[in-house]
Parts: sequence; C-alpha cells; structure tokens
Amino acid sequence: MKKGLKIFAILLAAFIALQFWKPEEIEYSIPTKDLHNVPAEVNTILRNSCFDCHSSTVNLAWFDKITPANFIVASHITDGRKALNFSDWDKLEKPKQNATLFYAFNKILSGEMPIKSYAALHPNAKLDDRSISVLKNYLTTIAVRKPNQEVPPAAAKDVEKVILNKKITDYSKVKPTLNNISYIPDFRNWKAVSTSDRFDNGSMRIIYGNEIAVKAIAEHQTNPWPDGTILAKTAWKQKTEVDGTISAGAFIQVEFMIKDAKKYEATKGWGWARWKGNDLKPYGDSANFDQECISCHNPVKNNDYVFTAPLHLDINKFNIYNKTK
Amino acid sequence: MKLLHTIIIILIILLSGCGRNKENLNEKASVSTLDKLSENPLLLSPITFSINPSKATMSTLYGNKIAFQHAKTKADSSYPEGAVLYEVTWKQKADSLWYGANIPDQIISIEKVQFTRNTVPKYELYGGHPLKKVSSNNQNARIALIISKRIAVTP
Repeated sequence: MKKGLKIFAILLAAFIALQFWKPEEIEYSIPTKDLHNVPAEVNTILRNSCFDCHSSTVNLAWFDKITPANFIVASHITDGRKALNFSDWDKLEKPKQNATLFYAFNKILSGEMPIKSYAALHPNAKLDDRSISVLKNYLTTIAVRKPNQEVPPAAAKDVEKVILNKKITDYSKVKPTLNNISYIPDFRNWKAVSTSDRFDNGSMRIIYGNEIAVKAIAEHQTNPWPDGTILAKTAWKQKTEVDGTISAGAFIQVEFMIKDAKKYEATKGWGWARWKGNDLKPYGDSANFDQECISCHNPVKNNDYVFTAPLHLDINKFNIYNKTK
Repeated sequence: MKLLHTIIIILIILLSGCGRNKENLNEKASVSTLDKLSENPLLLSPITFSINPSKATMSTLYGNKIAFQHAKTKADSSYPEGAVLYEVTWKQKADSLWYGANIPDQIISIEKVQFTRNTVPKYELYGGHPLKKVSSNNQNARIALIISKRIAVTP
C-alpha cells in the first residue's frame, strides 16, 4: 500500500512538473467576423463546428490547457489553420470562397472532419443531420449551376466562341511541375474512364486512362492500380448552348495521377501533376504542392486515392444484366 | 469467452482487409454483352461531352480512328467515308464521393452515325435495357446535331 502511494506521488509530481512544459504560444482569441455574404444560420454552424481549429478564434476547454493535451490541441489548430483559416475569408475571391465551402462540406460528408480524436473530446464540433442539411441547402444556392434544374438557353449571340489562338506545337517546351513530372501530351488519344459534371464550380471533366489503366479496369485490378497506370482528368468550362444544353467550353486544366508504388512511395504511390490554362502553366509554388492533391484525395484512400469509379471497358467478360438477375 | 473474443477480432481484421480491395467500378453505367451492339463504343476515342440539365443526362461523343482523326484536325462536319460516331447518353446520378458533381448512371441511349459513300450518313438508335435497335422519328435532326459537335479543345 505504501509503495502504491509512493508511485502515485511520483506520478503526480511528474504531472505537475509537466505543466511547466507548454507548446509554443499560438494566437488563440482574435475575434473572427462572421463570413461575409453567408447566412447567419450557416455562420453559426461553421463557428461552432469549425472555427476552433480553422480560424483565429479558439474556445479552449479547460482540459485543452493541460499538458500533454495542449500539445495535441496546438498541433490540431496549427494544421487546421494551415489547411483552412476562416479568418482570411475576406482575402479570398468569391469563386474561391465557394470552392472552399464545397471542399469543407465534402470533408464533413466523408467523415474526415471534424477529426475523430478531436470530436471525441469536443462533441459540440460534430455536425448533426440538421446542420448538414442547412449547409447542403446553402451550397445548392451558391453552386454555379443549380442541380436538377433547367438552364435558360443562351441567345445565339451570347454563345461563347471557343477559339484556341495558338495550339502548342512543341510540348517539350511545356515546363515540368516542381515535383519533376513532365507534361504528357498524348492523353487525348487515350480512352475515357468516366466523365463528371461539376455543377458546383461550372466545370465538366473527362477522365482519361492510358492503356495500362484500361487493361486494369478490364481485368478488375484497380485497387490498387498497377504501376504504369496514368489517369488524366481534363476540365473544361461549362458552356450553355442555344438549346439549353451544355457543352465543353474553354480548357481549364489537366491533372495527372501517375502510379509507381516505389518511385512515388512518399506521395501515396502516385505522382501528382496539374497544368493550367492554354499556356499549360505547371501548378504549384513548391515541390511539395502535391500534399494539397493528397489531402483532397484522402477521403478516397481506400480506392487507392482515386475518386473516379471507372466505366467498365471490356465487352467480352462483362454482363450487368445477368448479374442483377 | 476469451476464445470467442479472439475469433471476433480476427474476423473483423479479415473482413476489413477484404473491404479494402473492393474494386470501384461504375458497372451500371457500362455496356453489356447483351446489348445488341456490334462493338463497344466506350472503347473508342472520346471527342467531346455534353450535359442536358433539363433531362439530367450526360452524353459523350466517341469516334472510331477515322472519325477521331477528322475531329482532331478539321473543324467541320464532313467526316470521310468509314468514319463512325457514337453519341452515348447516360442518365446522371449524384456523385456519392463529392457533393457538387454528377456522374454517369445507366446508359439510356446510344446513337450510331456511320459515314458511307452516300451523302446521308447511316443512323441507328439503340435504347432500352438491354440496349437494342429501336426506330427514331427524329433521325435527321439528330444526325445534324451529332455531326455539328466539335472536339473539346485542349492546348
């Protein structure tokens, strides 16, 4: 019994001593204004569920201030602000604000946010079904094209003419990305793995797959994808025609995922690259810009980081009608 | 009792292991062997794609080698003999992985435009499940629309 008491006393002393060891002071409570142009109801939800880690306003619980919890909380907040800081809202252009909200909402839907270990101790950060539907309804109103709704036909004079002034003739002059990936001009000759209608930001995409990718789909070997797979997601602006249909307008960007489990081990087995605009400007400010790609693709890590569910591309082995019977 | 716990834990580990290797195919949006088509248009070259918001459909225009080569190099509708175009139309569904996107659901129609020696190309419409040839009362307008589509531009 005495021995037990002794151990307890030592532990207590160690715990008290630990309290003098604190994480580097971070800015906790600069008030964050409500997000401009966002309804009060939505602001309240974001403030309650997101602001503690994603703004300069933090409401710490008493246990968050105790060592070692304070270290964990400080790292959550530092990482959270780096990913998204609502205190910088006004610095963003409107389309970027909207994209940020769609991105954040999809992180919530996928269950990635709020982080489970954080939500376990801070249950009011969790979003209930009502909050989720409030956010969803709001996002529907800010989508570039309203889902499930007719588009007013464009007047003939307003139909945007898509003219490419100077088609690039020498692709070897296109700059590689900062993570050392060279442009792959051949993707237009590949097969379409799928298509996507991004009404949230008014773009439309064809996802191309190279021969290895198509073979992997035909052979049901897409999780993980084999080395040598390349997927190219090409985005165009949605362009409204006189009959109210939408066709591919101006080129926005092309993004590549290049599978090589060994070479790209540090980036989840994929090389990530994106070229933007008609001059094919490589995306990214530093060599580790691909962390941004990975964090967006993280919710689909169980699909080998690939969002697209490919169309089945082999007619001989495949028979959906028998399967459903 | 302890044994039971161990068995349950092992089962959970095994089952979650299987879950990870599940392939992620959009089977419903694909062409099947029962479809009465002479080839799988999804294996041809994609030229462009379009969306019809009022019908909640999306279509991809595919071409065989001759048609794709023409679409890539000439911005006109005079496809040469031997060129084949397919306009594949899917019903859209919400992307379960991204709120803000629609992806292909089931194929509702496939239209084939085949350029022969005749001035008017041959038109076939496939519909139903499985897809089979059906008659069209709108043939000329559909041909005109399909051949008016230009390749989606990339630099």
